Amino acid sequence: MMLRGYLLRRILTSIFILWVVITLNFVIFRVIHPVGDPSQLIIQPGFPPEAREMLREIWGLNQPLFPDQYGKYILNLLTWQYGYTFSTPPRPIGPEMAWRLRNTLILLGMGLIGTVAIGLPLGVLAGSRRGKKTDVLVMGAGLLTWGLPSFFLQLLFLLFFAYYSNVWFGFQLMPFGGVMSYPPPKNPIILVGDVLQHAAGPVITLILISFGSWALYARNMIIDALTEDFIVTAKAKGLRERDVLYKHAFRSILPPIATMIAMAIPGLVTGAIITESIFNWPGIGQWYIAALNTGNHPVTQAVLFNFAFLMIIANLLSDVLYGLLDPRIKVGVRR
Amino acid sequence: MGLLDVENLTTYFDILRGEVKAVENISFTVEKGDAFGLAGESGCGKTTTALSILRLLPQNGKVISGEIHFEGKNLLEMNPEKYRKDIRWKKISVIFQGAMNSLNPVMTVGQQISEAILTHENLSKEEALDRAGKLLDLVGIGSERVERYAHELSGGMRQRAIIAMALSSNPSFIIADEPTTALDVIIEAQVLKVIKDLQKKLNIAMAVISHDLSMIAETCDRIGIMYAGKIVERGDIARIYKEPFHPYTKLLLGAFPSILGPIAKLSRISGFPPDLLSPPPGCRFHPRCPYAMDKCGKEDPQSIHIKGEDHFVACHLVE
Repeated sequence: MMLRGYLLRRILTSIFILWVVITLNFVIFRVIHPVGDPSQLIIQPGFPPEAREMLREIWGLNQPLFPDQYGKYILNLLTWQYGYTFSTPPRPIGPEMAWRLRNTLILLGMGLIGTVAIGLPLGVLAGSRRGKKTDVLVMGAGLLTWGLPSFFLQLLFLLFFAYYSNVWFGFQLMPFGGVMSYPPPKNPIILVGDVLQHAAGPVITLILISFGSWALYARNMIIDALTEDFIVTAKAKGLRERDVLYKHAFRSILPPIATMIAMAIPGLVTGAIITESIFNWPGIGQWYIAALNTGNHPVTQAVLFNFAFLMIIANLLSDVLYGLLDPRIKVGVRR
Repeated sequence: MGLLDVENLTTYFDILRGEVKAVENISFTVEKGDAFGLAGESGCGKTTTALSILRLLPQNGKVISGEIHFEGKNLLEMNPEKYRKDIRWKKISVIFQGAMNSLNPVMTVGQQISEAILTHENLSKEEALDRAGKLLDLVGIGSERVERYAHELSGGMRQRAIIAMALSSNPSFIIADEPTTALDVIIEAQVLKVIKDLQKKLNIAMAVISHDLSMIAETCDRIGIMYAGKIVERGDIARIYKEPFHPYTKLLLGAFPSILGPIAKLSRISGFPPDLLSPPPGCRFHPRCPYAMDKCGKEDPQSIHIKGEDHFVACHLVE
């Protein structure tokens, strides 16, 4: 079957690309990065040289880069192990990453779902009323919040909903930061509510900042789609305006939209550095930036590996989706 | 009064540079079961006329004046929702140009035909799809093609599928907008035969829009010749082809080769059609007309009825 051959080809090239990425990942951090040897950041001038040697031994930095360090790194990834952090004592990265990834996925997952769920329909609406008040209002609002620096909007949120709401009304609408209250509530339902209350600020600001770009894409694609000849056909057939818009125009722009959604997924695992910092949300973003600054290379490598891996999967996924959504494109058939 | 009466229809488009006077003061009648041809070169307002009847003008297009009566009802004053439900496709359907993207590329032909049926009739999806299959049989591409997408069909089959779609809700009037453009002559002949046979068999009135005079001669009983947004001559097709009165019609017919007649050099009309943003005063054809008089540049010629004949012409020469 054509599809099987195609998938096989794609998987083989994907493996090759992944190898290139992880090799670059290794070279950039261990060879080119200014903090090539993180032990120099910890060691003070007065320390005995043996202390530094000890650190280098614990972290495996005393071995030659090639083939020892590189080989071990590749072997680890082959068995889906991320290795150990450069810390004392070294800790396995897997569990360290797991709880942070959970936090980040809660935050960015809700953010992406909200952004798509709000941005797309608003964009379609604006596009179908091109030049009218709805269009101007939606796009004006979307572009305004898109243009704001995220930290500015987020600090405003903290100021008003965490601080002033308490000062003025004696009621704190949202906490200053964190994922949940301490100690966490025991009842799981209350716990979920508690987490949601903590996530509200960052999630809402993330949606506000990014829905405009999705709305703009959707709007422009809908405007294009509405000029197609088959839209005139659909109208002439006497279809309701709504059916013309959704069954014909929106349906025809679904393939690129599915691709955009698939391509947004890998970004979920690298975290939101600024948002996580402002709302003190311990996630991948904060972890990543700290690792970058302290030369904790296994951590940065792990985060980037996740991103690259998901990116390759998302690419494959969007190709398959495209073939499913657009009958003119048959995946695996060469023209 | 005919099935469709267009009276003094004027349609303009607003663009940045001004107002395009696309259709100016045109009138024609299509009787029940009759086939009327609207001929003219590109940009003369044929399609704008069709879109005005269908009330599908783009946002910047406006019917300035005139009336369109269909079965005695004024279409332009009808409530839009009522128009959509009662007129579109149910009474007036369209054969679009198959070479264009007139079929939705991501829906099967059957889905698109049954969608039209379901909009106007209370049928189940299966019944509608079944009817779609029968229609495809009727136009000669076979009911097994209901599950095909437009890109899987040839140009001729696509055009036939569009014809099947136009017939799907038993309309009494069909507008065929360049139904054979971009088809090769063999396929064109086949498609025309399908259209003509079905039109006679189902007794459907039709307006055929085309720049191809021979194609209109083959399909229509009456014709309107359009130039720069106006109908310059209209009436019985045999009469007009045999004895054209308007200089434009004469020149246009002279620009077509005849297989049976003597070998003659094809004539051409010098100059270009006018810019409809600022059409010439008086008769719009006068700058290109070899018989133009002083009066032609000043006074707009009125449509004159040739006595005893189904023949109208708008030219000062005829007076």
